[in-house]
Amino acid sequence: MTGRRPLASLPLLLLLLPVLVIAQSQRATAPGTPAAPPAGPGSPSVTLDGREVRVPALISPGGPLFGLKALTEVLGGELTPGETGESYNLKLGGKEVVIGLGSAVITVGDNIVSLSQPPTRGEGGVAVPVDFLNKTYGDLSGYSFEWRPEQQRLAIGRRSARELPVTLDVVHLQGMTTVVLQFTEAPRYHLSQQPGRVEVQMLSDRLAVPSPARRVDDPLVKGVEITPERVRIELATEAAVESYTLDNPFRLVFDVHGESSVASPSGPAFTPSLPASGIHTIVIDPGHGGTETGAIGPGGIQEKGLTLLLAQALASRLQQRLAVRVVLTRSEDTNLPLDTRAAIANQNRADLFISIHLNSSLGAGAHGAETYFLSSQATDTRAASAATTENGETAGAAAAPAGTEAAQDDLRLILWDLAQTRHLTESQRLAALIQGELNETLQLKDRGVKQAPFRVLMGAAMPAVLVEVGFISNPEEEGKLQDAAYRADLVEALVRAVTRYKELSEAPEKPAGAAPAPGAPGNTGNPAAAPAAPATPPAASTAPSAPGARPAPPPPSPGGGPKPPGGAHKP
Amino acid sequence: MSRRAAGLVLGAALLLLAGGLAWWWFEGRGRRLGGVLAPAMGPVGPQATFAADLYFPADDSLRIERRNLTATDDPKDRIKKIVQALLAGPTAAGLARPLPPGVELGAVALTADGTAYLDLRWAEHEEPPPGGSDAEMQTVYSLVDTVVANVPQIQRVALLWNGTQRETFSGHLDTSQPLVPDRKLH
Repeated sequence: MTGRRPLASLPLLLLLLPVLVIAQSQRATAPGTPAAPPAGPGSPSVTLDGREVRVPALISPGGPLFGLKALTEVLGGELTPGETGESYNLKLGGKEVVIGLGSAVITVGDNIVSLSQPPTRGEGGVAVPVDFLNKTYGDLSGYSFEWRPEQQRLAIGRRSARELPVTLDVVHLQGMTTVVLQFTEAPRYHLSQQPGRVEVQMLSDRLAVPSPARRVDDPLVKGVEITPERVRIELATEAAVESYTLDNPFRLVFDVHGESSVASPSGPAFTPSLPASGIHTIVIDPGHGGTETGAIGPGGIQEKGLTLLLAQALASRLQQRLAVRVVLTRSEDTNLPLDTRAAIANQNRADLFISIHLNSSLGAGAHGAETYFLSSQATDTRAASAATTENGETAGAAAAPAGTEAAQDDLRLILWDLAQTRHLTESQRLAALIQGELNETLQLKDRGVKQAPFRVLMGAAMPAVLVEVGFISNPEEEGKLQDAAYRADLVEALVRAVTRYKELSEAPEKPAGAAPAPGAPGNTGNPAAAPAAPATPPAASTAPSAPGARPAPPPPSPGGGPKPPGGAHKP
Repeated sequence: MSRRAAGLVLGAALLLLAGGLAWWWFEGRGRRLGGVLAPAMGPVGPQATFAADLYFPADDSLRIERRNLTATDDPKDRIKKIVQALLAGPTAAGLARPLPPGVELGAVALTADGTAYLDLRWAEHEEPPPGGSDAEMQTVYSLVDTVVANVPQIQRVALLWNGTQRETFSGHLDTSQPLVPDRKLH
């Protein structure tokens, strides 16, 4: 009998087999089942020069993501959260990296860099993909990052040091000295300035020192010393410096002025910190551009051209009227992604972001102006999405008690809401002032202040509005918008609104956060009726450009504004 | 257990195994044909006529045109009929089509959390039609509001264009995530 028992249990096993097969197939196709992460031998690990280091990591559908806070403790750098809680700043090698959660576009110093996938919330703040690390720590600090999927391991090493030939030119002309360092390829460097001295410190490259050494005899530059590790420029005591880079070949250029002739230094290493409050920088975004025409009127007028004309004129008038720096997101007829437009505003630490648009309707009779700010629905959705993403991220890590996770999500939502509410309140205030001026000046149909989940406003970490100054789909308004005098009136209305907003924001006894909101969505009065006092003119007729910013153009001409200087970037 | 009893159990087990494998194969075939964004399946129950409120673009807003449509209880079938009627355009004066003639509804997919994914297709047009923000909102919310108003199982709608979920249709509204109705447009 005992010898027949194994045979007797075989039918039972066969009975169970189809049940197991069915159960497995049901499990694999259960609705709502999230995609399983790629199978791997274990949690992703990180090594530095072959030794394992403790860095939280997770696998997302777009690839691995690594906790940035832990990496800064290993590789250096200073990571701080932005004001709104949706962005982080990483100071590294003298440059600032601005990271927007959920945005695949970051800024590294003056450059806008696209990533393979957006950074997301992670343990200790933010988790970043491998290409982020290569474009920040790799380029700025000389590290190399290699993801080895078969081992589920990120191997961090050090890039081999290049020896870069450098040549030096010093030219003095009309009271200004220009120092040019020319390289065969762009080095990884850090700029710093101390009184009487500028240093270009190599981060992972070495310089091939030119021989013989160049002797400098100049009234503003006392000497230039080049060693394999750095270039040191000794300045006359009264001198001040502006720096920028040129491409093809890569050149690092320093314009050295006598101090009195300099409007303001510029570039991250040279920019004095601005006062903590007030309106100092305004980014104006001409809607659409390039192949994206925007709305097209019945007469064939395209929105993208008119928005550029209006934005250029507004930039010019604001600079004439107010002591502010104005940056345009585009100054040519080019495509520009919506996320990049907000990134430009963040990069320039703008205090206001104004996107200029012309409207169209599917109905025939729509006309008038309206001003939008971001809807709370959009911020709620993003917060929920961020919380969901983070829950997904932590699924592979040690599971926290469910109540703790829920509490953390609630806390995140509350913090997000607080930060966004502050910006939304200010955005509404600005929108109401703009709408009031447009109504008052142009006697347009008041379509009011409205809210919508507009993509271009979502990434902006400052009060941000989108102004629709008229309906290009309406033949009468299309005709008016082609009239330069009418456009000038529109611009003046916008200038008055921004001026009033600036005054309210900077009034010491009534700070912006304490003043009552001048209008509510859909019901706008005219809060800007009080005449605006003339503002102090800028210290210089042409305000210095922001890092990576296009210079604001002179007053508009029929042919449009000037082109930005090709290939020049602030280092 | 006698030899006869063991044989009976073995036979029953083999029959069950064959049946299970046949079911598994047919199920898998259906999934393989359907894909992730399965096209709306055909009617699964009796057809019934229902009154649908279709939100069409008007001058400054969306306005309702009530229609009697026929569909089964299957939410996908209902969505399909409603959206097809919306895309075909209004009958009343003063209302407009949300999208140009030629735009069709492709696949419809539903998720357990009440989100409907609608794939809009326009032959030989990679991009949605250009427009201002109001036009874009009228287009998008015409679809979102109509589906949510008429299909109780749906709370939000995500729009795809030629199979891809876009950041935006015409350069303003964020369409990278499902949208809830905007009743301010009504």
